[in-house]
Amino acid sequence: MTRAWRFIVDRYLLVPIAAVVALTWANTYPQSYFRIANTLAFPVNEIGMALGLAYLAQEVVEAALPGGSLYPFSRAVVPLIGGLGGMIGASLAYVGYLALGDEQILARGWPVAGAADLVITLAIARAIFGRGAAVTMALVFALTSDVIGLIVISGQHFVVQPHAAAALLIVAGVALAAVFRHQHVVSSWPYVACAGTLSWVGCYWSGLQPVLALLPIVPFLRHAPRDLTQPHRQPSAHRGATHFESVFQAPVLVIVFLFGLLNAGMAVRGADTGTWAVVVASLVGRPAGTLVAIGIALLAGLHLPRGTGWRDALVSALAAAPTLVFGVLFAVAVFPVGPLLVQTKLGAIATAIGLVPAFGAARLLRVGRFAPVTHR
Amino acid sequence: MRPALVLACVAVVATVRIGVAADGLTLPNRPNTLKFAAIGDNGTGAQPEYEVASQMATWHQQFAFDMVIMLGDNLYGRQEPSDFVEKFERPFKRLLDGGVKFYASLGNHDDERDLTYPPFNMAGRRYYAFVRGDVRFFVLDTNFLDPAQLVWLERQLASASERWKIAYFHHPLYSDGGRHGSEVELRVKLEPLFVKYAVNVVYSGHDHIYERIKPQRGIYYFVSGAGGQLRQGDLKRSELTAAGFDRDRSFMLNEIDGDELHFQVVSRAGQTVDAGVIHRGGTS
Repeated sequence: MTRAWRFIVDRYLLVPIAAVVALTWANTYPQSYFRIANTLAFPVNEIGMALGLAYLAQEVVEAALPGGSLYPFSRAVVPLIGGLGGMIGASLAYVGYLALGDEQILARGWPVAGAADLVITLAIARAIFGRGAAVTMALVFALTSDVIGLIVISGQHFVVQPHAAAALLIVAGVALAAVFRHQHVVSSWPYVACAGTLSWVGCYWSGLQPVLALLPIVPFLRHAPRDLTQPHRQPSAHRGATHFESVFQAPVLVIVFLFGLLNAGMAVRGADTGTWAVVVASLVGRPAGTLVAIGIALLAGLHLPRGTGWRDALVSALAAAPTLVFGVLFAVAVFPVGPLLVQTKLGAIATAIGLVPAFGAARLLRVGRFAPVTHR
Repeated sequence: MRPALVLACVAVVATVRIGVAADGLTLPNRPNTLKFAAIGDNGTGAQPEYEVASQMATWHQQFAFDMVIMLGDNLYGRQEPSDFVEKFERPFKRLLDGGVKFYASLGNHDDERDLTYPPFNMAGRRYYAFVRGDVRFFVLDTNFLDPAQLVWLERQLASASERWKIAYFHHPLYSDGGRHGSEVELRVKLEPLFVKYAVNVVYSGHDHIYERIKPQRGIYYFVSGAGGQLRQGDLKRSELTAAGFDRDRSFMLNEIDGDELHFQVVSRAGQTVDAGVIHRGGTS
């Protein structure tokens, strides 16, 4: 039982499991599902997922520290550029697909195609690469796309009147985190509870997606360099008792499960132009955009993260393709209730099929778990 | 006269009436009533749309409706100024020349240029209401049924004092069209308002068929989405279906006379495929 649980947790399988439960529930007892999903949407999506996003981001921050796989900065830049390219590629593919038809009314849904499901990306990447640097690269691709997308859709999801001046609270939160760091505060709690809360309120009132609130706080947390070039290193060796990752792992697991459960449920019907546009944009446009951007960056003299090559980059780009639950979250922010929302949500869920080309490419290119044993 | 003979005579007269009505006007066509037509999913610019429009113009000669409600997808494909001519002005020229006004709603194939196209009478609004006689029409944009639109709708419904309340929009709350079907998410938002404020009739398109739905919570629903497009054989009849037609294009003629709404559905070939009367707040 413990091994099974560890397997699920390590491979981030909670969201896929939650998504299956949600889809089954929503298609058998829709009224009870949607009643509960609507009730819990705000605390989970807007508050809890701020912690979830920070949890995933701190892995990237630590990889960028001296000794980490994304150090020096020039190696971190390439995945960032890849993520940006992926977002652009997905958006262009979405708009391009719509241009083939005449349903331009769907055009405002382009951020949906740009969303990347961080947790599914991690699940696929870990299943292929274990704990290699390529996992972090895939995470950076997805995280970059999502941060851009969340900024784009900010202000579209609230009924409250945004006040730009409230952004000062974000600055105050970051400043407070800097003070904690300067005072050598070891525990993660003050950073999250005080600085994080200030930042969250600032995001909420200024119209910025509050799920982004902890991202500017994360760099101030106590970190240890994370060398992910050693795929089989035990993660527990990295954690300290007061470390953010250790303290918040259990709450984040619950949040991530609820996030999948509350957002992935929908009546499976109503596939139409918006569905196919999201699927094509995510599974074709995003990987293509990522790879083109990386190609340009490498031509400009930058380098891939330590311990990765072009084959890892290609497979990581495919692993970061599914929009899934994050796509659903973006769709809800962009479209009101109605057929356009149904179409794009269905498209986001359908991108789960993206794990097939990711595993297929990994097998074909013999990377990660498919690499010849002598090269592992 | 013996009762059996009376019944026989009535039966003969009724048969004759039905025989005449099959290809003719079944509507009362009384003076001073509100007469209007309804079309959906018409704007293809292809031959069938021209034939439907021509049929409408022919019927207009005997049933002088003065307005047409458009149930969305008013134009397919390119939407340049020449397309508005090709896909709307030219096919409906006889009606436009005859002074018939069109009131459009937005479908998923329409773009925002519809809003400012004068013959569609939208005056730049995605959703709007207008009054004709003792009827208030509520025209919705079901592509973006945002909270602001719902607030607007509730205010409009609450303030409506007319005898009839008719709503129309593109996506059907109830439909047995195989391609799309009922838009349940929209229904969850709209139906409670329609019930609360006693909307009488709802017209939609989107599914390229004609269907009359059995009254749902006291409201009559029509799907009329075969004004130019057609999905032959797409009607999957269910317990919701009161009547339907999916073998050819069609349009609707309507007449409101006091507490009665008479309707007649005509195919592209000019045949009547459904007809009846709705009594306000009562039976059909």
